[in-house]
Amino acid sequence: MPKPFAIQGIENGIRVESRVLEEKIQNAVSSGKRSLLVNARGQHGIGGRLWAAGDETVLVRIDGASGQRVGAMGFPNTRIEVNGPASDDTGWLNAGALIVVNGNAANGCGNAMAQGKIQIAGSIGARGMTMTKANPRFAPPQLWVLGSTGDYFAEFMAGGIAVICGFEPQTPGNILGYRPCVGMVRGQVFFRGPIEGFSEADAKLIAIDEKTWAWLTENLKAFLKNINRPDLFKTLAVKGDWQLIEARSAQEKLSKPRRSLAAFQAEVWDAELGRGGMIGDIIEVEKGSIGLTPTGNWRRFVPVWENRKYTPPCQASCPTGIPVQERWRLIRENRLDEAIDLALSYTPFPATVCGYLCPNLCMAGCSRSFSRIRPVDVAILGKASIAATPPPLPPISGGKVAVIGGGAAGLSAAWHLRRAGHRAILFDTEKTLGGKISAVIPESRIPKDVLSAELNRVKKAVEHIQLKAPLTPAAMQKIVADHDYVVIATGAGKPRLLDLTGGKRAVAALDFLKQTKTGAITVGKSVVVIGAGNVGCDVATEAKRLGAQNITLIDIQTPAAFGKEKEHAQAAGAKFLWPCFTKRITAKAVELTNGQILEADNVVVAIGDMPELTFLPPSVETAKGFVKVDASFQTTDPKIFAIGDAVQLGLLTDAIGAGRKAAAAIDAKFAGRQPEVSETSPLNIDRVKLEYFDPRTADFNSVTSCADSCASCGVCRDCGICESVCPTGAISRKETADSNGFEMVVDDEKCIGCGFCTGSCPCGIWTLTPNTPMLK
Amino acid sequence: MPSERPIVPSSLSVKDLLWQVHWSRERCTLCGRCTAVCPVGAIEPAVFRKRIVKTDILAAKQPPNVFEVYYGIRQLTDPAHACVGCASCTLVCPNDAIMPMHGDEADKLKFHINQQGEPRRRGGRRNAPPGILDRIKFTRISMLTDPALDAGRHEFELRTLLGRVLPAEENLALVREQGWIPPVREIYPLIIGGMSFGALSPTMWEGMLMGVAYLNEQMGMPVRMSTGEGGCPPRILRSRFLKYLILQIASGYFGWDEIIHALPHMKEDPCAVEIKYGQGAKPGDGGLLMWHKVNRLIAAIRGVPQGVNLPSPPTHQTKYSIEESVAKMIQSMYMAWGFKVPVYPKISATNTSLAVLNNLARNPYAAGLAIDGEDGGTGAAYTVSMDHMGHPIASNIRDCYLNLVKLGKQNELPLFAGGGVGKNGNLAANAMALIMLGASGVQTGKYIMQAAAGCVGSETDRCNICNVGLCPKGITSQDPRLYRRLDPEKVAQRIVDVFVSFDSEIKKIVAPLGRSTSLPIGMSDALGIDDFNAAQRLGIRYCI
Repeated sequence: MPKPFAIQGIENGIRVESRVLEEKIQNAVSSGKRSLLVNARGQHGIGGRLWAAGDETVLVRIDGASGQRVGAMGFPNTRIEVNGPASDDTGWLNAGALIVVNGNAANGCGNAMAQGKIQIAGSIGARGMTMTKANPRFAPPQLWVLGSTGDYFAEFMAGGIAVICGFEPQTPGNILGYRPCVGMVRGQVFFRGPIEGFSEADAKLIAIDEKTWAWLTENLKAFLKNINRPDLFKTLAVKGDWQLIEARSAQEKLSKPRRSLAAFQAEVWDAELGRGGMIGDIIEVEKGSIGLTPTGNWRRFVPVWENRKYTPPCQASCPTGIPVQERWRLIRENRLDEAIDLALSYTPFPATVCGYLCPNLCMAGCSRSFSRIRPVDVAILGKASIAATPPPLPPISGGKVAVIGGGAAGLSAAWHLRRAGHRAILFDTEKTLGGKISAVIPESRIPKDVLSAELNRVKKAVEHIQLKAPLTPAAMQKIVADHDYVVIATGAGKPRLLDLTGGKRAVAALDFLKQTKTGAITVGKSVVVIGAGNVGCDVATEAKRLGAQNITLIDIQTPAAFGKEKEHAQAAGAKFLWPCFTKRITAKAVELTNGQILEADNVVVAIGDMPELTFLPPSVETAKGFVKVDASFQTTDPKIFAIGDAVQLGLLTDAIGAGRKAAAAIDAKFAGRQPEVSETSPLNIDRVKLEYFDPRTADFNSVTSCADSCASCGVCRDCGICESVCPTGAISRKETADSNGFEMVVDDEKCIGCGFCTGSCPCGIWTLTPNTPMLK
Repeated sequence: MPSERPIVPSSLSVKDLLWQVHWSRERCTLCGRCTAVCPVGAIEPAVFRKRIVKTDILAAKQPPNVFEVYYGIRQLTDPAHACVGCASCTLVCPNDAIMPMHGDEADKLKFHINQQGEPRRRGGRRNAPPGILDRIKFTRISMLTDPALDAGRHEFELRTLLGRVLPAEENLALVREQGWIPPVREIYPLIIGGMSFGALSPTMWEGMLMGVAYLNEQMGMPVRMSTGEGGCPPRILRSRFLKYLILQIASGYFGWDEIIHALPHMKEDPCAVEIKYGQGAKPGDGGLLMWHKVNRLIAAIRGVPQGVNLPSPPTHQTKYSIEESVAKMIQSMYMAWGFKVPVYPKISATNTSLAVLNNLARNPYAAGLAIDGEDGGTGAAYTVSMDHMGHPIASNIRDCYLNLVKLGKQNELPLFAGGGVGKNGNLAANAMALIMLGASGVQTGKYIMQAAAGCVGSETDRCNICNVGLCPKGITSQDPRLYRRLDPEKVAQRIVDVFVSFDSEIKKIVAPLGRSTSLPIGMSDALGIDDFNAAQRLGIRYCI
């Protein structure tokens, strides 16, 4: 070996600047020197960057104080020997040099080293082997330490091999220092001696296999030779003394071993608290969760098929209570005869009233009306009902009921009583039954043959006793005594008259109408009708028929007239005036309080009628001139019922309905039952889906077109829409033995409670109700 | 049908609603899930009529009308069925055919939500998305001036103390004299704020506490949770998990007799007792658990009969002054556990917080003060209380801290801040801002519901129906059909995720400040804000 070229770090007693010393070293290498001896005085980075020598080896020996970052950016051609301890950051960013330190090295030894070897004959300070690299193009860097390391060893170590021999360590109890290997991502650390842990999140202990051991022993020998301690080989090369830490792979780091929450719940939580966890002692607790749209008991809502639970709106609006919708259903099922006959169970006048005289409240109440779609025309069905044939009457079972008054109410009561098997005897002063229908309603509104046909039908069922004279209290008493029950249906035949000057000149409307029918009255050119209701309209119509030219109806308020009566009156040219207050009636005119004078040859008062009730026994109470009744039309005398205008002024259909209900109540009493007064509530029409129907339907021309357009509110029309629409196929049709013949059933285990059945049902049968609370 | 209806003053169109359900006929497969899941019945399946006029100008005859019918989803518009925007429909829709959209117009429903003269009540938080906490920045970054810290590498002791920390000389004197030294707990600085068993579903409550137990026992994080007012399940009272709980007592005193009966059987002391005087979301107002929510379970835990209304009045009935409230309540609660459990009051942030604080500073038993700001959440409150009552937390906690500094007691009496912490998702930043303004720790509730259970409530008035028990996620419902949607184990897992990630984030804030590896309580010189007045008010740096 040639004599080394000496470079002084101190000249003339003055320390050479690091920059100048570096210049000297580089110049020496450039001029061919390959062995240098640097007498250092703590200069920075001695021995690095000696590429000028190309592939030729450069040996740099350093005496004195070697300074920080000895061998920094060292090249593979360089071998550095520090004769003594080294300062901080030995081999910083080493790119290939072999750096041997014959003593301890301070902090940061091997920091950011990428290639080459650093061999320390003593111990090192903190943060050794940190941020090292392993470039696949080169062999990985190595750090050999004879003693121990300081704290934070191998932080962010990203490659290379560290060998810590633990021989005469500075920290004998913990030769890798505090918290080694934090953030380590690659590389291996061999160590021999006790440690106090390392970052197990980043690294792990692995076994040393034979190949690795062979590598270690071979390189250990070289290391010991470099630091002049070959004698230690035997002491150090004991396999059982060595352990190896290796960085975890990125994948291994992701799956840090941690107890799963499921295991924690089972092994810790439930173990401490008991089965069912926190509240298992109070309620039954199941593990896991349910979905957002569960079936069965977990549904929030359940559909209910409410067939016939509510009264269809048409039926609910019919005072007689005729199941109009049911009749259309029968027609849809090609059972026209049954549909027609069905009406007789509710009214003796299905043609006269439904077809002609009734304002058809069922049509006003029809769901379709509320959606501005033409309601199904019940008058067509009414007119067709002239053909209705009643079933054979049942044998009389013994009950005997007197019905006083042969008008609509009385006939209805008698009709229903007889059909229920009771004897019904009508008492009436008139020769002809029918009351107002026969006596006062103009023929323009009801064809004679229709009326007489229906009256004949009812006459066949009920007995009629024509009274010779108006009832006296004594006669009444006898009737009451002779019968089980008495139904008062005497109507309101006593006109209300005006108490003013000339009031007596006026004729009561009912008298006027009766007289027009018998031709017993002369009608002049001008007629004034006081009271512009429907009776007033009838007066107007009849007056016109009999020659009147100027017909005026006056009222103190907006005229109450409506429907056919009003149309007919208007067709007769009648004028409606209001508000008008009559001051007096003269021979030729009606004078109003505002001074207006209306010419009048005839003055008719049509401001309503009052019942004539002088025959009533004292046990029957009245109020404001009408008989007081309860919901079943029973008076304060339990034997006596009262219906029709004697109770409250109303329409024919009101009277017929009252007759039916009173008959039902009496029938119940005969049977020893309480009269049924409560009825099902009407269907909320919002439930009916009219979107299925063409809103432009102009006219109905047949009962079948009506039947097809009936929405069948509240009664399942067996259309199958729900079954088809149900998204989970939970609905099916099931035959039943009851009168309905079928029902729609829900499979709870399929149903999610979405309400599509409810939303699509044309008839409003389905409803969605909250499921029964689970935890009350 | 609706078109034929007469309108009433509260007749609204879909356009008038805050949330409008957009539905695509094209995509819908009529599976029914949206209508089945909608919590408020805002949508219903419906039949639609479609008219087509088939005109052919060259045809000799009159063009026919063709009617078709199709099925679909209709949104209801009456106030009782107004969509709340929870998007449960969207969640269950297999075809992405339905979604509530926020109306682009001023909410008209607002003017009609008071039917029968009943003002609107709801759950959630103030309908005001921004907040000052999000604007506070950490502007003092250690750049070579002092050793920078590494969040990933350095060890941080980000713990806080709950309890009266006596000055060293006093403490030593007491040790010598064998006097009473106030109990102090070293806990994690993020506390799960008081949400009662009752306001929350059993699955949510159990999931939260299980997560807290996991953090303590598996992760070594001493996280604590306040029970809220509603008692504590008897099994918990008799378990070691009790030590992770701060038992809250409030004006309704629900469940406290059950707690008293459990005293002889307790394996552990609770972490602390919180006396609730106020709630930031509805300061000065009380609460009411409606009778229909008081089922068998709630009744058992609160120690009440089933099916009765449970009012928590706005004030405690037997307390008439600060002195009385604080002295009497604190004394009583200390006695329950033999003066071994710290007791502190919780108040709504208010102009008068300092008066309370000064009183506490003089009371040697007071273990701290929790202050809840106006952005706190609630299960049920009048909208007017929620949106318009209360005091922001930032300046209130700052004033209190600086007052303690004046008294020289800033290290003695810990302050805990709550109310909208993390309301825009910035939990760690908000928490550290409050801590650097002077809080020893923060309490958060709503964030936990959002992060751990998927609460969709928002400050743009989304969902917020906690009060009616119809929570679509099962967080605030007592109906098993809803709360069983939530799996406690999954909630617990999210609690763990939230705290572990929060822990990383606060280190990411603390480390670059380079000062310390401890919790930087009151380190306000590290804070800056781009609002001059706010900076002046909070005594922090104005940075633009």
